[in-house]
Amino acid sequence: MRVKLWGTRGSVPSPGPETIRYGGNTSCVQVTLSDGSMLALDAGTGIRSLGLALQQEATRLHILLTHLHLDHIQGLVFFAPAFRPQTEIVIWGPASPEASLRDRIARYISAPLSPVEVRELPCDVSFRHCPESEWEIGPARIRAASVTHRGPTLGYRVTDSGNSLTYIPDHEPGLGTEIDELDEDWISGFELARDTSLLIHDGQYADQEYPDHVGWGHSAISHSIAFANRVGAERTLLFHHDPLHSDDFLDALDREARDRWVALGHDPNTIEVAAERSEYDLPVGAPAATA
Amino acid sequence: MFEVTQKPIELILARNLMSSLSTPAFLVDQGGMLIFYNEAAGTLLGKRFEEIGTVGPAEWGSIFGPFDESGNPVPYDELPLVISVRKGRPAHSVMTIRSADGATHRIEASAFPILTAHGSRGAIAVFWPVDGNGVPVEGNGAGA
Repeated sequence: MRVKLWGTRGSVPSPGPETIRYGGNTSCVQVTLSDGSMLALDAGTGIRSLGLALQQEATRLHILLTHLHLDHIQGLVFFAPAFRPQTEIVIWGPASPEASLRDRIARYISAPLSPVEVRELPCDVSFRHCPESEWEIGPARIRAASVTHRGPTLGYRVTDSGNSLTYIPDHEPGLGTEIDELDEDWISGFELARDTSLLIHDGQYADQEYPDHVGWGHSAISHSIAFANRVGAERTLLFHHDPLHSDDFLDALDREARDRWVALGHDPNTIEVAAERSEYDLPVGAPAATA
Repeated sequence: MFEVTQKPIELILARNLMSSLSTPAFLVDQGGMLIFYNEAAGTLLGKRFEEIGTVGPAEWGSIFGPFDESGNPVPYDELPLVISVRKGRPAHSVMTIRSADGATHRIEASAFPILTAHGSRGAIAVFWPVDGNGVPVEGNGAGA
């Protein structure tokens, strides 16, 4: 399994000279499975670049949406494969009692917000609510579970050839509670991330910023680190960077995270702040390549 | 295959909320297991949840009585929590409960189901102490 980060930013795209190293595109992660088939986790603006990088012959793609906040779906109408008639796209996402996944996404892919409607997309696109039980895509087993965020929000675990990726980009497991004091079964996202090979997890706020953002659905890095420690993640990427965080700020956050990780008895090279276009091979080793 | 032992997110969030309340509150899962009550409820009952732990539906009713206005035990099927979790609707009643030290407390109990897109997750009940005239105690009732 190979993982490539096409968008690591949270909330809103943040391009500019101050974010050039960690990136300004919003959430999108490409997962290439052991048989060569591909998943995209979320469809923030990073998926535009992913679409441009895909070969024309790619015909069947699965997009797994954690939730429908704009920073996780904004790139859908700029995803080149969606405009090829030979492409089949299956979009998975959280169920809601309010409306179907298709109807909720169509609120964005419709006038006046979009120049095209869902029904006008040339590709064969279908929408599926994630089941509560595990299911298979190609050689991978997929599990989705609701996690603490604002509105119906999922985290995902993708398991292929004995390796697992857990993706929980928007997550506030420390809301109103102390992660270190909870039994495992009361920690949001725990089963998704237990002993995972690679954890991609919300790390939006520095600890000093969190008190002004309690209940916004995101983690302070102390929460992210406590969560990674409790679940026993082999490697952790802090993700969904606040749009106000510059590269220099994220460098400092990266150092702080590694120091805290070491204080918990871990290898400092197994936690880092996620950078756009970084790639990782599973089983966990050094990054395969970093653009 | 993946073994799921984790509580549903709706119960996790409910517990987080209840932990912050000074109103006695109880949480049961969809099978009727009592899986949490908060500190205020512990104060009312005279026992912290950690002392009792998760208990089955046949047991938790007996933890605190309860009794009707005539002093007769309230049938299990008529408890608001049981009605909510079984029938998926709100329920309310007035009853007397007994704390660990033997003291009795008149309370109003309101329960409502936790329903999601995937079905029932359980139910929440809040207990509100009332005075000798049946009037709810002002404030939050904690420590009553």
